[in-house]
Amino acid sequence: MTDAPVVSVRGLDITFAGRIHAVRGVDFDVFAGEVLGIVGESGSGKSVTALALSGLLPPVARVTGSVRLGGIEVTSADAETLRQMRGRDVGMIFQDPATTLNPLLPVGRQITEGQIAHGTLRAGDAEARAVALLREVDIPDPEGRVRQYPHQFSGGMRQRAVIAMAMAGRPRLIIADEPTTALDVTVQAQVLAVLARRREETGAAVILITHDLGVVAETAHRVAVMYGGRIVETGPVEEIFRRPRHPYTAALLRSLPRIDGEDARLIQIEGQPPTPGALPAGCVFHPRCPVGRARAQCRETEPPPVPPGALVGAACHFPDEAGDALAPTVAAKAAAPVASAAPPLLEVSNLHVAFPIRGGLLRRQIGTVRAVAGVNLTLRPGETLGLVGESGCGKTTTGRAIMGLIRPSAGSVRFDGQEIGGLRPKEMRRLRRHMQYIFQDPYSSLNPLLTAGQIVAEPLRIHGVFETMGGDAYVRGLFDRVGLSAGMIARTPRDFSGGQRQRIGIARALALQPRLLILDEPVAALDVSIQAQIVTLLQDLQRDLGLAYLFIAHDLAVVRHISDRVAVMYLGRIVETRQKGALYRQPLHPYTQSLLSAVPVPDPAARGGRGRIVLEGDPPNPARPPSGCAFHPRCRQAVAACSAEAPALLAIAGEAGMVACPLAEAGA
Amino acid sequence: MTGFILRRLAQLLPVLLIASLGIWAMIYAVPGSPVAVIVGENATPEQIREVTVRLGLDRPLIVQYGAWLWAALHGDLGLSIQSREPVLALILGRLPPTLQLGLAAILVGLVVGIPVALASALRPGSWLDRVLSGWSALALGVPTFWLGILLILLFAVELHWLPSASSYVPFTEAPLAALRNIALPAVTLGLYVSGIFARFLRAALIGELRADYVRTARSKGLRERDVVGGHVMRNAMLPFVTIVGLMLASFVGGTVVTEAVFTYPGLGRLLIQAIGTRDYPLIQGCILLVLLLYMGVNLMVDVLYAYIDPRIDFG
Repeated sequence: MTDAPVVSVRGLDITFAGRIHAVRGVDFDVFAGEVLGIVGESGSGKSVTALALSGLLPPVARVTGSVRLGGIEVTSADAETLRQMRGRDVGMIFQDPATTLNPLLPVGRQITEGQIAHGTLRAGDAEARAVALLREVDIPDPEGRVRQYPHQFSGGMRQRAVIAMAMAGRPRLIIADEPTTALDVTVQAQVLAVLARRREETGAAVILITHDLGVVAETAHRVAVMYGGRIVETGPVEEIFRRPRHPYTAALLRSLPRIDGEDARLIQIEGQPPTPGALPAGCVFHPRCPVGRARAQCRETEPPPVPPGALVGAACHFPDEAGDALAPTVAAKAAAPVASAAPPLLEVSNLHVAFPIRGGLLRRQIGTVRAVAGVNLTLRPGETLGLVGESGCGKTTTGRAIMGLIRPSAGSVRFDGQEIGGLRPKEMRRLRRHMQYIFQDPYSSLNPLLTAGQIVAEPLRIHGVFETMGGDAYVRGLFDRVGLSAGMIARTPRDFSGGQRQRIGIARALALQPRLLILDEPVAALDVSIQAQIVTLLQDLQRDLGLAYLFIAHDLAVVRHISDRVAVMYLGRIVETRQKGALYRQPLHPYTQSLLSAVPVPDPAARGGRGRIVLEGDPPNPARPPSGCAFHPRCRQAVAACSAEAPALLAIAGEAGMVACPLAEAGA
Repeated sequence: MTGFILRRLAQLLPVLLIASLGIWAMIYAVPGSPVAVIVGENATPEQIREVTVRLGLDRPLIVQYGAWLWAALHGDLGLSIQSREPVLALILGRLPPTLQLGLAAILVGLVVGIPVALASALRPGSWLDRVLSGWSALALGVPTFWLGILLILLFAVELHWLPSASSYVPFTEAPLAALRNIALPAVTLGLYVSGIFARFLRAALIGELRADYVRTARSKGLRERDVVGGHVMRNAMLPFVTIVGLMLASFVGGTVVTEAVFTYPGLGRLLIQAIGTRDYPLIQGCILLVLLLYMGVNLMVDVLYAYIDPRIDFG
């Protein structure tokens, strides 16, 4: 790393429309063979910085400062120079592989067209080159795949194809902007492994932009933490995680749910990240900072940036006190113990949901997708059951079938002892007061034309109980309950941030005083610091109101923090259901083991020490599940019997848990 | 592919059946019975009875419908009351001129509309975009009869370059004469649809230019013309072919006003004449044929869609 840096950024400053100050004086260097992780929440300026590096910002952006890449000054180069630089000196990997590829063009053509545009590849050789590149990123049957279209690729394969595309021209710098955020955790492990191997083979420098501190801890050499358009701290990855010098970094690490940590409540960072259009005076972090909130210096003077070229440093007036931010700012409240003797509130037995596949001239049913294939669950009052699994495993369908939003094809759902399968619509509506659903996306699940107050009051009006429940005063009480100011009652959803919108969704769900909440990925769309706030709110509500939660999520760390018990789903079935502590301590099913092993842990010291299991292949198509145990084609421990018969979910000796794997039981 | 088309055709059958019932029943729904039209106002009750029996109007309704449908399926749509000629022959005679004008107008619309849309969409909000958007609004807002008359005054009356009345000359037989005759009505209609095309395509292009795959294409170092031509255009075409198909479908049903201005022998004028003279068999035949053409164009759009978009499965 003594050579000149591959890219050198000095005093980069980016303003949109003259007033939105997105990036404010950013300096960093990246050297060959190195991975720089840029970490930050939404609005921190990290993605804008990435686009500026390759000259891809829209013309309305005003860029000052310097970006030197491959001998080119990017901020002042003309369009043709920048075009030639892109693909040749810098390759980009973006977040969502479902939208980064053009749906109408074959994947092979999209991989090689950059090289053809640069004149480094003849059109006649393009297909052979695409096949070679696909093979390098572990796409099976590259000859057959090269002419296929993106929709014929799975998510993980698409992202590997994007990696192949970004690396086709052998650029010296790869910028990966949230490359695995849209992927399942086992697929994320595959994609990160491919990215790391290709980086080693080509010697490229990588800028990895992410909000996921676990991914950074496992892949980056150096880290730059961005907040409010600045780099507030930079340093080697071990330093950042072991001894953060900026209170924001320290608080961020502390607010992170972990699969390996203690059971303490998450320490939340108060407030919202600043929006680039309305930055606070002084240090941008001071309104949320436990160290500087009360100090005049922090309120009035912005700390000097980390000196350009410095390898370690923080933009903080009191870097030695950052550790104080690690101290809990709120006393941990003990959760009410779950009355295990209480009769179950929800009992799901042998639930099946099948969707027909139609085809042919008369649209006859030619197949069935068994989205849920025999699920059993029980949930007691005041208890949280985490339902985890990768996309397509049937966890959301299970939740919707319990709510009666999807008709089950077989099985029974009993709520408070009453079978809901045979209920007439009117009875079902009455019952639904007691079970409410919270959606993942706080942006699309609120009607943009209604005020927040109307949204929260709507279930009350639907059930005709608005006045009897206490009218406007009751709604204001709900706002207070979820931590929203009653002064915002007349605003529409667009005035709220993502976390605040999710609070509106929670208030709406609470309005009818339900006993069961089905939470479908309630924090997946939120920033890390906001996730902690919502998880803590849900914990408080459960303790105060005795709610039962069915918490559906793919994030094993969040599930660990909120759940009492956890059920792991794979392809429509529950493969393991255990008490939380037992499951995370010693997972029994091979799928659970690989799932937990694939979660990146935000601790660089643990890197490589955990013996990661990287699952081969993709989750199978639920329309054509493998014979026997659905997991056997990807299972390391599979024996001949596994493909013959589907194992039953059996009790584990000496423990209130079940696992659907005879091998696992033998080993327990 | 063949299966896809067959399935689409099969789906059209019930629609056609219901539509045919409506078309047949039209005779009874419209004031003034066909018998009264044929026998005139001063007919005796015997004459009325005789015509009623001759036309089979004394039979049960279901039998009448069955007979009508059976004949229609064999290409027998009856005789025109006015001219005593077979309805089918009358309509088929008007079909080639109508198609020729419709296709020519769509062509003019595309040749004008696509470049306008591209120039606007590549720099939205620029002075060029504003000028072109204003132009599109003008093309949409000017009534076709007025534009047609203006064009006749300029190119026929003043300059004597083109005929003022357009007769039908098959393009395949005498291309030059065909072009001379069709130029003014095709431009009249074409300018109108170019406004529609430009608006739709501009919106589609602007939407696609914001898509993630465009950023990806640029990040590979593609030239802007390849980004637009190779990536954006194809995606923007998807919504666009629907609009082009709809406009073509509306033109094959005849363009009443334009045909009238240029005294062009299209389906639109035939239908207007038939309505004016209460020539029921001819009205029925025209509507049935327009319906068939409409369905045919829609099927073409579906096939084109599936051809452009690999995500649509022919199976």
